[in-house]
Amino acid sequence: MLLSIEPDGPVPIYQQIRDRIVEAIAGGMQPAGSALPSTRGLAVDLGVNFHTVNKGYDLLRQEGLLRLNRKSGAVVRRDAGSGPPDPGWAQDWTTRLRTLLAEAAAQGMPAEDIGRYCRAAVAAFAFPAGAEEGTGSEGPL
Amino acid sequence: MSARDLVADFIVPVVGALMCLTPAATRPTLQFGVRVPRERAGSAVILRERRAYYWRTAAIGVCCTVVAVTVEGYGSWWLSRIILLLEVAANLGCFWAARRKIAAVKNAGDWFAGQRQTIVTDTNWRTDPPRFPVGWLIPALAVTAATAAVGALRYPDLPAHITAGLGGPGHQAPKSVVSVFSVVACQVYVTALWTGLILIIYRSRPDIEATDVTASSLRYRRFLAAVTRALLTLIALVDVSLLLVALRQWQLVRLSGPGLALPVLPFAAGVLLLAAVAMRAGQGGSRLNGNLRGLAPAAGTDWDDDRFWKAGLLYVNRDDPGIMVGSRFGAGWTFNFGNPTAWLIMAGIVAAPAGLAAIGAAAGM
Repeated sequence: MLLSIEPDGPVPIYQQIRDRIVEAIAGGMQPAGSALPSTRGLAVDLGVNFHTVNKGYDLLRQEGLLRLNRKSGAVVRRDAGSGPPDPGWAQDWTTRLRTLLAEAAAQGMPAEDIGRYCRAAVAAFAFPAGAEEGTGSEGPL
Repeated sequence: MSARDLVADFIVPVVGALMCLTPAATRPTLQFGVRVPRERAGSAVILRERRAYYWRTAAIGVCCTVVAVTVEGYGSWWLSRIILLLEVAANLGCFWAARRKIAAVKNAGDWFAGQRQTIVTDTNWRTDPPRFPVGWLIPALAVTAATAAVGALRYPDLPAHITAGLGGPGHQAPKSVVSVFSVVACQVYVTALWTGLILIIYRSRPDIEATDVTASSLRYRRFLAAVTRALLTLIALVDVSLLLVALRQWQLVRLSGPGLALPVLPFAAGVLLLAAVAMRAGQGGSRLNGNLRGLAPAAGTDWDDDRFWKAGLLYVNRDDPGIMVGSRFGAGWTFNFGNPTAWLIMAGIVAAPAGLAAIGAAAGM
């Protein structure tokens, strides 16, 4: 997996690390059970503080995407084929999605374009065959 | 041939040639310690400063070699070393002159303005790391073991005083385990030091270009493998040089006149081999297979991290946990001077030979 960050960008580095790993999991580059580098190894490779990587990994652990273990290191816990998300997660995600889509609407982007961008993004994710139709956890935004 | 003659006949021209050719092994995006965007690598100021550096350092190398050969046999023993120091200082002056001019144009033109600057890594580097070529360490270990075995066999028949020192006739030291096996201790030190440094390098971050991610990652793997093998060959050849010194000290081989230079030859061959490999591969493999370019889309441009490079040569970044990083000038690695562990290692590198010298002095060497 290729992981890139913008050290001088507006988004904190730990958040960028977390975002890139989430994208890699959704895109199928890091399936469930696959190993990630140790926090120290990734910190050396990115030239950032060890605690920065630790913070990014800890976010992923709290979200249930990563399992951190002294022996096995950082291992991806779930991916697009792991079944429905944990109860309550969708509500929180919907709130964040509303804000993101609202930004596009506030900037004047037509609804068709917003839908097109969403479909293009979803098409890049590695869903298991037959899972694109939804899992019943959908709800009104 | 004395140590001074060797400095004049070998070290001064070789150091001059290596420093003159160093820009050729440097990354195109790191010119004289200044990071530049890839599309600016062929800028007029860079081409002009490179040409000026080549001519200036070539002239310095020729002048220093002529002076060193001319003063051979005259003056103090330190004269040839002073010439070497002056040569290095003058070449560094040429480096800093070129750096200052390129940095001035870069800053005036704001070359990184509007660019998406990124740091990229390939996590496969950690989950599928390159293997240290243990087999290439065997020659160095075999030469060291052979030297120790010859010393052990020869020890009972050695006279009460033996020749000490690595160059020239040296002075006489009383026979003891320390004086007889001092060369073996040097071999162990050289082998352990470089093996340790290579192991640290294997755990350091790879030089991956944001503009050419996958291909530069593959090239770095090939570069690391090639330079590691050349370094391990150099270690074995240094050990052979020390074996020849030991054979002379133990009166198994008699060398005189130009023959005294024989122990230097394996070391010189190793240095030239390493330099040839580094020049061929370029820093991080930047001169290897250019046709690999473009395997993955660019992830932006490399991050402008000039602020962490003091004088364009010394890397000082307290937030970076890396102990060693790719050097900016030439091909190889340098310490992160902002890392306390790096300082501990450097202290160990200095303390070990100082300790060996103290033990030798206590044994009358």
